[in-house]
Amino acid sequence: MAERRDALKIIGSISATCAFPFAADELYAQHEGTHGAVSGQAALPEPAYFSKADFATIAAMAERIIPATDTPGAGAAGVPAYIDFVVGRNPAQQKVFSAGLAWMKKQTKGRAFAELGEKEQLAILEPLCARCDAGPVKGTGERFFRAVKALTSDGYWTSKAGMGETLGFKGNAILGAYPECLHEH
Amino acid sequence: MATVYDVVVVGSGASGGTLAAHLARAGAHVAIVEGGPKINTRTDFPTHSMPWEFANRQIPKMKPGKPGMESERARGLGGKTLTWNAVAWRFGQRDFKGKTFDGGGEDWPIDYADLAPYYERIEREIGVCGNYDGLKDLPDGVFLPPAPYKCSDKLIDKGARKLGLKTIHVRKATLTQAKFGRPGCHYCGNCMAGCDVVAKYNSYDVHLLPAMKTGKLEMIPNAVVREVMMGGDGRARGVKFIHRETKAEGEVLGKAVAVCCACVQSVALLQMSAKGGLANSSGQLGKHFIPHFTGGVEAFLDGLVGTPLKDDEGFLDHAYLPSFMHERKRDYVRSFGAQFGYQNRRGIGWARETPGMGAGYKKAVKDQYPAFVVFSPYGEMVPNAKSYIDLDHGKLDQYGLPSARRQVTWMANDWKIFKDMQNWSKEIMLAAGAKIQKVWDEPRTNHELGGARMGKDARTSVVNPYCQTHDVKNLFVLDGSVFPSASEKNPTHTMMALAARTAEHMAARAKKGEL
Ligand SMILES: Cc1cc2nc3c(=O)[nH]c(=O)nc-3n(C[C@H](O)[C@H](O)[C@H](O)COP(=O)(O)OP(=O)(O)OC[C@H]3O[C@@H](n4cnc5c(N)ncnc54)[C@H](O)[C@@H]3O)c2cc1C
Ligand code: SF4
Repeated sequence: MAERRDALKIIGSISATCAFPFAADELYAQHEGTHGAVSGQAALPEPAYFSKADFATIAAMAERIIPATDTPGAGAAGVPAYIDFVVGRNPAQQKVFSAGLAWMKKQTKGRAFAELGEKEQLAILEPLCARCDAGPVKGTGERFFRAVKALTSDGYWTSKAGMGETLGFKGNAILGAYPECLHEH
Repeated sequence: MATVYDVVVVGSGASGGTLAAHLARAGAHVAIVEGGPKINTRTDFPTHSMPWEFANRQIPKMKPGKPGMESERARGLGGKTLTWNAVAWRFGQRDFKGKTFDGGGEDWPIDYADLAPYYERIEREIGVCGNYDGLKDLPDGVFLPPAPYKCSDKLIDKGARKLGLKTIHVRKATLTQAKFGRPGCHYCGNCMAGCDVVAKYNSYDVHLLPAMKTGKLEMIPNAVVREVMMGGDGRARGVKFIHRETKAEGEVLGKAVAVCCACVQSVALLQMSAKGGLANSSGQLGKHFIPHFTGGVEAFLDGLVGTPLKDDEGFLDHAYLPSFMHERKRDYVRSFGAQFGYQNRRGIGWARETPGMGAGYKKAVKDQYPAFVVFSPYGEMVPNAKSYIDLDHGKLDQYGLPSARRQVTWMANDWKIFKDMQNWSKEIMLAAGAKIQKVWDEPRTNHELGGARMGKDARTSVVNPYCQTHDVKNLFVLDGSVFPSASEKNPTHTMMALAARTAEHMAARAKKGEL
């Protein structure tokens, strides 16, 4: 399974690991038939893999991880659809997500996570986040949070809202000369 | 009557492209047989794509619907030079004589002086930018002006200097000014997706297309070669191929055959061509597989955290840390050098590891974005019996041919280099003022070398110093497979220089009727 873990790590980070420029999508094995634009959308689209209820939970978690500020948040960047797309094609992720979603239902005592108030949502998520930041985690809730954060991060920072608007990457400007560094570093 | 070419060249990358062009210019009638399709380098690469254009956020190798880069046996006319990063070093004398210098591995049967004129010829015809640094182990060539340092390079150089080291401008087969009817680089920053203006060298546009004007060169794409055909007289008489799309079989005949399929695939082709391997009386074919190994340290430079984003991806890496261990006390043989800053800004997998959530997390990633750097040392492996190339008959590729299998086992010396180069990389980044995000804990293979090594002795090597197999006089192997030792430097310039030297040798021999 080491390969799959690597594969997951690798998505969106091709160039960071450009020593292996050809490894990424071969490992990830998702490149067939997937050429299609995912546009940013405010209303939740129909999920292809998750149930509507589970999809709403994931969307709400993603929005807490990357909220709208002066730039769009995860929802408007189309992150939920991206997560649905990735998990629907990845059995290892499916296990983590179904265990995690069941765990979440217990925490909310049957109420829908998406219906909880901000305080209640954060009361569940923030401790998970802190434990994930502290080191390796084993618990179902922590593993679930880590997976949702990883895919939210991948999906958001490779979206037009994330990479383009938030980070300001324009990409491929054609320059007459290299903008030499004239700073006193 | 089927055409009988003077030379049939299999593979159209750096090695095959250079060889075929030089032979055609010298008057030989050449066929270049390439498994992949013809690629339109101006229109078919996703050079300007952004990840959000694709549902899986992976920018594909080719634009949707465009063929190419499908397999190692069918990349396309131009081979890996279509997507390479163009770093172009001359090897130094120490690289050719590693065993003499430090006792490990093997010496090359040729010296720096043998190859120097051909390095120069390549530089003069393709264009290599760089600075004249006067280094003993990294000889200067004929250079176009170097590209300026990036902000991150200046910071890293400052860190390196604190430790008594010095970085240099990278040398690349990329034009920093218009020349040879090609434009200068416009620093759009996605070279490894394919340069759509050919500021960066690729063998198709720079070597093969111009050589078509000689009327002596024929390109045969979509022909995956499965066998070098032998005649009853012990000479190669051509190649057998499978059409990439129709799977129909065909043949190309020649008075000489040159196998230039990129190391592992060249070895595999010889192994497929005869029981026990063609040109393998030495038993050395496939052995001494010595790929480079890379480490990596991912970090954020303090000096750039929170600064406004600059349009400074450039042509990826602009600086380099040459090997400095040769003259130092160490408990291993050979050495390493380091590339850095060749990540581009389209990949941000690292953001997963940034702590926190909410608006604070979002801001932290934005602050880190301009400051992210990957520092990648490259180490030299010495040959060992457990690292070799063979065929996997249980795993057939899309053409029904056995896959090539790489076996790599890291030995004590490799681990010592790896640990040392990772340590140095960390120290340099810390001295540069950086927060380290990740240190790779295992070596990863890179440039593939060895497997059909060059030597004077037919009992211990596969090809002679002119890349001609000892066993079959009109069969040549040209690419990384012939390297007896790897150096720590990116190898392609040396492959091209070897191809230019062999082309001259073949043309001279052909004139005397000796081929
Ligand atoms: C992303 C990337 C970045 C790189 N950056 C650098 C760099 O900065 N500096 C450097 O020195 N090197 C770099 N390299 C490596 C460099 O590209 C190779 O060393 C070089 O291209 C090897 O040349 P070659 O002719 O041996 O093989 P290739 O260029 O790979 O060409 C071999 C050709 O043979 C064809 N072929 C294989 N088998 C068959 C068969 N059976 N029948 C017919 N055709 C066949 C293939 O389709 C291919 O087109 C990089 C490589 C990559 C992928
Ligand atoms: S940065 Fe220069 S060499 Fe690289 S793709 Fe752009 S124009 Fe070509």
